[in-house]
Amino acid sequence: MTTRPAADENLAAKLPDETLRKWLRDMLLIREFEVRTMQAYQNRLIGGFCHIYVGQEAVAVGALAALEPTDPIITAYRDHGHALARGMDPKYCMAEMFGRIGGCAKGKGGSMHMFDKPHHMYGGHGIVGAQCPLAAGLAFARKYTDEVIENRASTGVAMCFLGDGALNQGAFHEAMNLAGVLHLPVIYVVENNGYAMGTSVARGTTMAHELTAKAAAYGIDATSLDGMDVMEVYNGMKPIVDRCRRSVQPAFVEARTYRYKGHSMSDPRKYRTKDEEQQYEAQDPIEKLAGFLMSERKFAEADYDSLAKAVRTQVREARQWTDLSPPPDIEELYTDVYADAWGPYHGTSLPLMMKDTQQE
Amino acid sequence: MSRQIEYRDALREAMSEEMRRDPRVFLMGEEVAQYNGAYKVSRGMLEEFGPQRVVDTPISETGFTGLAVGAAMMGLRPIIEFMSWSFSLVAADQILNNAPKMLYMSGGQFGCPIVFRGNNGAGGQLGSTHSWCVESLYANVPGLKMAIPFDPYDAKGLLKTAVRDDNPVFFLESERLLSVKGEVPEEEYLVPFQQALIRRPGADCTIVSFGRPLYFCLEAAQALAEDGIECEVIDGRTIRPLDIETIVESVRKTNYCVVVDQSWPFASVGAEIASQVHERCFDDLDNHVARVHADDVPPPYAYNLEQEMLPNARKICEAVRSVTYNA
Amino acid sequence: MSIEITMPRLSDTMEQGTIIKWNAKEGDAVSAGDAVADIETDKATMEMQVYDDGTIVKILVAEGDTVEVGTVIAVMAEEDEDPAEVAASVNVQPAAQTTQPKQAAADAGPDETVQTETPVQPVMPAAQEPAPAETVPPVGAAQQIVAPATDGVGDGRLRVSPVARRLAEAHDIDVRTLQGSGPGGRVVKRDVLRAVDAGAETAAAIPPSAKAVVPATPVLLPGPIVQAPTVLQDQIVPLSNMRQIIARRLVEATTTIPHYQVTVSFDMEKLLELRTTLNEQLAEQGVKLSVNDFLVRCCALAMYQHPEFNASWGGDHVKIHGEVNIGIAISLPVERGGGLVVATLRNADQKSLRAISLETKLLAEKARTRGLSIDEMADTTFTISNLGMFGVDHFTAIINPPNSAILAVGAALQKPVVRDGELTIGYEMAATLSLDHRVIDGAMAAQYLRTLKGLIENPATLLV
Repeated sequence: MTTRPAADENLAAKLPDETLRKWLRDMLLIREFEVRTMQAYQNRLIGGFCHIYVGQEAVAVGALAALEPTDPIITAYRDHGHALARGMDPKYCMAEMFGRIGGCAKGKGGSMHMFDKPHHMYGGHGIVGAQCPLAAGLAFARKYTDEVIENRASTGVAMCFLGDGALNQGAFHEAMNLAGVLHLPVIYVVENNGYAMGTSVARGTTMAHELTAKAAAYGIDATSLDGMDVMEVYNGMKPIVDRCRRSVQPAFVEARTYRYKGHSMSDPRKYRTKDEEQQYEAQDPIEKLAGFLMSERKFAEADYDSLAKAVRTQVREARQWTDLSPPPDIEELYTDVYADAWGPYHGTSLPLMMKDTQQE
Repeated sequence: MSRQIEYRDALREAMSEEMRRDPRVFLMGEEVAQYNGAYKVSRGMLEEFGPQRVVDTPISETGFTGLAVGAAMMGLRPIIEFMSWSFSLVAADQILNNAPKMLYMSGGQFGCPIVFRGNNGAGGQLGSTHSWCVESLYANVPGLKMAIPFDPYDAKGLLKTAVRDDNPVFFLESERLLSVKGEVPEEEYLVPFQQALIRRPGADCTIVSFGRPLYFCLEAAQALAEDGIECEVIDGRTIRPLDIETIVESVRKTNYCVVVDQSWPFASVGAEIASQVHERCFDDLDNHVARVHADDVPPPYAYNLEQEMLPNARKICEAVRSVTYNA
Repeated sequence: MSIEITMPRLSDTMEQGTIIKWNAKEGDAVSAGDAVADIETDKATMEMQVYDDGTIVKILVAEGDTVEVGTVIAVMAEEDEDPAEVAASVNVQPAAQTTQPKQAAADAGPDETVQTETPVQPVMPAAQEPAPAETVPPVGAAQQIVAPATDGVGDGRLRVSPVARRLAEAHDIDVRTLQGSGPGGRVVKRDVLRAVDAGAETAAAIPPSAKAVVPATPVLLPGPIVQAPTVLQDQIVPLSNMRQIIARRLVEATTTIPHYQVTVSFDMEKLLELRTTLNEQLAEQGVKLSVNDFLVRCCALAMYQHPEFNASWGGDHVKIHGEVNIGIAISLPVERGGGLVVATLRNADQKSLRAISLETKLLAEKARTRGLSIDEMADTTFTISNLGMFGVDHFTAIINPPNSAILAVGAALQKPVVRDGELTIGYEMAATLSLDHRVIDGAMAAQYLRTLKGLIENPATLLV
């Protein structure tokens, strides 16, 4: 189902043990984090809407591995996985969902709005497709900074994650068109998990069997890859990232994946069968990578257990840290409305996360 | 030294000066580069700054306003030209949901220093969809600023301030004012936000307005003066932030207030100012605050209907006479 | 440690959930992720999964029951625990079912409840319910519609713009006396300004609004004034409206008017003789002239030579009045709450002693009983305050704006006087004139007093 250059097939396999182990750890972390998120949500410790990334871990981890850490990324509302894969400490992510001052956005953003300036993450965004034009802007700004301000060749790539549901939004198409006409180095990664909320891809969009056709109209290079295999994601993504950076052009990638859980926490998933869910769970990306490491890289059960235990501890500590972080002062209601202070507004301060980062 | 230049030239001077001063500033919009601007505001800027800083876009408001939000989050300072603010409606999600809220949602991490500028208000028989007065619709949203220049001096001074502001600024110009000439100094100057200006002093009634309707206010004030009613005409200049103090000070003196707002009356800027004046000046008022708005109907095409629908000197005179018990 | 399974929140709006079906029973081993129950939420029926491996040891909420989110619905033993032990330690009462009480409440027949709670009573529309007795006196129906004067400006239907109200207060103008020119008769700024321009300011120390404290029928006011306490004690006496106004106006007068005083003594011999003669002759006609009546006429007549004493300070001008209206300070009886008012004797210069006497008596009587009208207190141009009846030697008074002078009069007392170079016993009366130096200089005051002295000491002039 993927179409990619054969020469790139073994890129991931050539990477050192520690890199692959890091990927496995990142995916385990996301999964454990999300499970504890669900638990906290059901215990009413998290409010509002909450979208779980379980099942799709390989996409965020594999795609981000292909980027430089300073390349800007942006995503939609199912954003915890991207934040963690980008390097956000789980405690800031958890505290944000708990509405605590220690959250990455001081508790003002919530589950759908994970922002992390030190890690060049330009947010989770709640409106379907609305982040797509912003991604064009991130690419524009990187290119502009290099070419106009620094007077050098463009060096950056922006990556925009979106769901298959966003393909039907005008914002996505306008952004693709702009990226094409303005030659912007931005990669649109569609995480095709099969469902836009409860509407299957085929019911919502044309050419569902070949989503790369969406990019063809804009003259943008398009690739489809297996989003249930982190090594495959990396193998497909790395050459695309390199090409975009070099040629200062956009690209479109479809990562075929599966959302194990509902659209949001209140989704009974009646629109699909148990069989289907089990079929995908059987090709779990974590088990797949663990299997590769065990068969190829002298990775033992015990190693896996200790990794799993480590992330459990990390998430438990994040939870404990969150419990200790107080809710924002009522004063915070009026900060960050404007960058400057006027009227009744109080100006802006940095979240704890950024202060911590500056100290480090 | 000052000279007479057109409103559109004043706007261009502001943009060009700011782009020379700060390389992060760029201009983007429909027809801004090769076409020299749909209304010739950006004439010649492509030659000076090149296509990377004066960027033509397709007719794609959602796309390029969203692009500006992303670019601003990364530290650039875009100036986005809407050919008309009427067209900004298709970009509502980007300009209302993203630009003004990003700083808040990100806990202060990512601001959006963008100037959105273009023609606002009835241009002249453009019909319902192209004659939007967006001030009341948009001023409701916290996180954005809004400036409305009256003359070339303010067009330049306020726009330069807008470009240097770290927040999204909605800059509402008027097609009908682009060719108006006025004194503009050779030297650099800025017009600060939240500093209303008394365009005509008077002791008998305060008139508050913004932008183009101020011309009608001044016309009305002239006519009323001949009957012995001296109006104090206040140009608010910025709606967000609003300089309510200057208005309050005037109303305390005159005891009467008429607000002239070219947008619709329901839940409007005019209603907001009237409410604030009532709160602040209750014991100084000899009558309720009167409001003159566009009529509560979609803008019509026919010339006579359109003229009747918009605020004009006749309506303002009537309001002042009525509110001062001189009807 | 056992693990409590609580009713999960499965949607953003879910408050309670119903167990549709348990997919596990007590004693079953389960793994994390297993759907152990189907839960009906407000939106849909959803699976409830467990987050840990272990054994279900106790099910606390039966199928079909509804409980609040967060309620413990089952208990698990962890993998390394003995299920039996955990089961034995579970001491949770079955959760209260939220549906039951609601059902019970709904089942209760409305008829029953109402009948037991409400005493048997014929149908009575709310509008007919009698108001509490004390608020409506048992008098004619017409009086019941009188609205309380909530804002001190009458019956509540008076319309006054906020700034007009403020201006009127500043000028001591009773807005009720003004004809409103605004819509619905609203009193607006220009109405007040016109009244100010027309000199319609009430010259009385008490603006009419203070009359509100004087009820139409005499009533003993509560408070310490009425009954002097037998033992002195600390008391806080709330200010009456009149007291507030006196306080404000007199502070204003003393702080804004540059006062000075000039005192002079009058030989009262001739005047008292004349008074005795006249009173004897007119006794049958019920006329009894007081010393004060003579003084009013003297002061009024003196204005012809000294019109600047019949004047008001106007900020950038002095207004000399065409009418001579003499104000007479009248103290009110303690039973009426005390205080004082200034009654106006209009055109006092044109009135005979008899007329002055009669009018003064009527005004004083009315002031002390029913209260004066605004007209009867307005437009004074000069005021006389007389404490002679109390035997006071002399005192000084505070000017009553917008007057420029006030005469404070003491008692006519027997004193050794020098008359024609010889010491003899005579009647002497001291009077002190307080003056507004912005209008009247010292020498002018002296000249006025000389004229006054001439009139008092040669009272025959007063008869013409």
